[in-house]
Amino acid sequence: MPPGNRVHEPVDGRTANATLIRFDRVSVSVRGKPILTDLSFTLGAGEKAVLRGRSGSGKSTVLKTLLGLYPLAGGRILFDDEPLDPSAVRIIRRRAAYIGQEPILGAETVREALMLPFQFETHRENKPSERRLIDALARLHLSPDILEQECRRVSGGEKQRIAIARALLLGKNLYLLDEVTSALDAESKRTVLDVFGDPGFTVLSVAHDPDWDTRCDVVLELDGGRLIRTRRDGNA
Amino acid sequence: METLDIALPQMTVLYGVVLLPWLLLGLIGLGLSGAIATGILRMSLQLALVGVYLKTLFTLNNPWLNGLWVLVMLVVADWSILKRAGLKRRYFFAATFAAVTASVLFSTAYLLFLVIRPPLYYDARYLVPLAGMILGNCLQGNVIGLERFYTALKKNENEYQTYLLLGATRWEAVRPYFREAVKAAINPTLASMATLGLVSLPGMMTGQILGGSEPWLAVKYQIAIMLCIFASTTLASILNLALSLNIAFDEFDVLKSDIAEDG
Repeated sequence: MPPGNRVHEPVDGRTANATLIRFDRVSVSVRGKPILTDLSFTLGAGEKAVLRGRSGSGKSTVLKTLLGLYPLAGGRILFDDEPLDPSAVRIIRRRAAYIGQEPILGAETVREALMLPFQFETHRENKPSERRLIDALARLHLSPDILEQECRRVSGGEKQRIAIARALLLGKNLYLLDEVTSALDAESKRTVLDVFGDPGFTVLSVAHDPDWDTRCDVVLELDGGRLIRTRRDGNA
Repeated sequence: METLDIALPQMTVLYGVVLLPWLLLGLIGLGLSGAIATGILRMSLQLALVGVYLKTLFTLNNPWLNGLWVLVMLVVADWSILKRAGLKRRYFFAATFAAVTASVLFSTAYLLFLVIRPPLYYDARYLVPLAGMILGNCLQGNVIGLERFYTALKKNENEYQTYLLLGATRWEAVRPYFREAVKAAINPTLASMATLGLVSLPGMMTGQILGGSEPWLAVKYQIAIMLCIFASTTLASILNLALSLNIAFDEFDVLKSDIAEDG
């Protein structure tokens, strides 16, 4: 049985999670160049997975393909057992937060950046209160004073934590993280890893961080766009 | 009042006016001699042809022929807009044609039916130059609008995708670039309206005055044409950009990579 089709085993007394994401022999080409080839893996709801591999091995492409940003050249992706069609992609985008190495805040001030998604129709009814804003920032060890700061004046690490705070405000429960801890100091990194350790969050990440690896249920190693090794729950 | 004719010998003398600048450009080594000669020759031939067909159109004054000529102008304008905006004609031709045609016909019809009201609404003397002037300005606005919009989107693709991932619809995600593009498209017309008469005398007004019209009549026509240019440029830019949104993106709201004309 290929690694991607393994049945989830209960681990440490936890019950097996329903499969949320299934990549089934997925191939992706960008401008005619193959980036992913025959990639298969599954991820259950609440599981944390890390993609590892050299630069250019296709790790970030996995995240972006799931968000519908790259068309499939072959294979299929199932999300909640539904194929990745435009309506499924919209559902994924509603549920997922993609946080990259240099998140785009898209506003002048931090407050405007946090409120940005709430001007869109889909979130307009759920505008957060000042209390919720402050709580979300506090969860990421950010002071309320940062709300009035200009986005261009905050550091890279703060930008990442602001982007995470924004995702928390949106109630996202699927996190696609691309080198999210790379710009963080040790304490901020611990804070961020604790946030993503929430059992309610499903995380698919690209990281080169041993601390994060130990918290992940699944480690997927890519080389040249192919999956060369899968370790699930500590088993090779 | 008759306009003085420029006889053929004087027309030949006319070309002498460019000799001095041509020589100076050569002296400073700009290397544009060939381009200038081609430009002058092309302009002269094109305008000579315009003279021939306008004379024919005015003589026949047939509604179908006049209509056909407006259609030809619209097709050429459509072609030119997409070429200059660097977008593939096979994708955007229909959308640009629909947007520009609807806007130009609306403004021209408004002007002819409700304002000028010539005895023959299809009279070539009114229809052809008015539609031509409105279309010419509309063309500029649409080139700027499309070019700005798709350049900004390409440059800020990550930002656009961030908006999508924060829950924006395609329309909500493109709105900042859409607004900027429409602003850029109508800015030249707005600027021109603000300075008209102060910085320069507009071409149509000058033409009418030279043609023997009273200055007040020329002013009224100039105001009419400027308002119609503003209306058609604004409508066409917005409509064109809006229609192009259905073409330039895939079903997942991702900007297609092959919309730009190669080269």
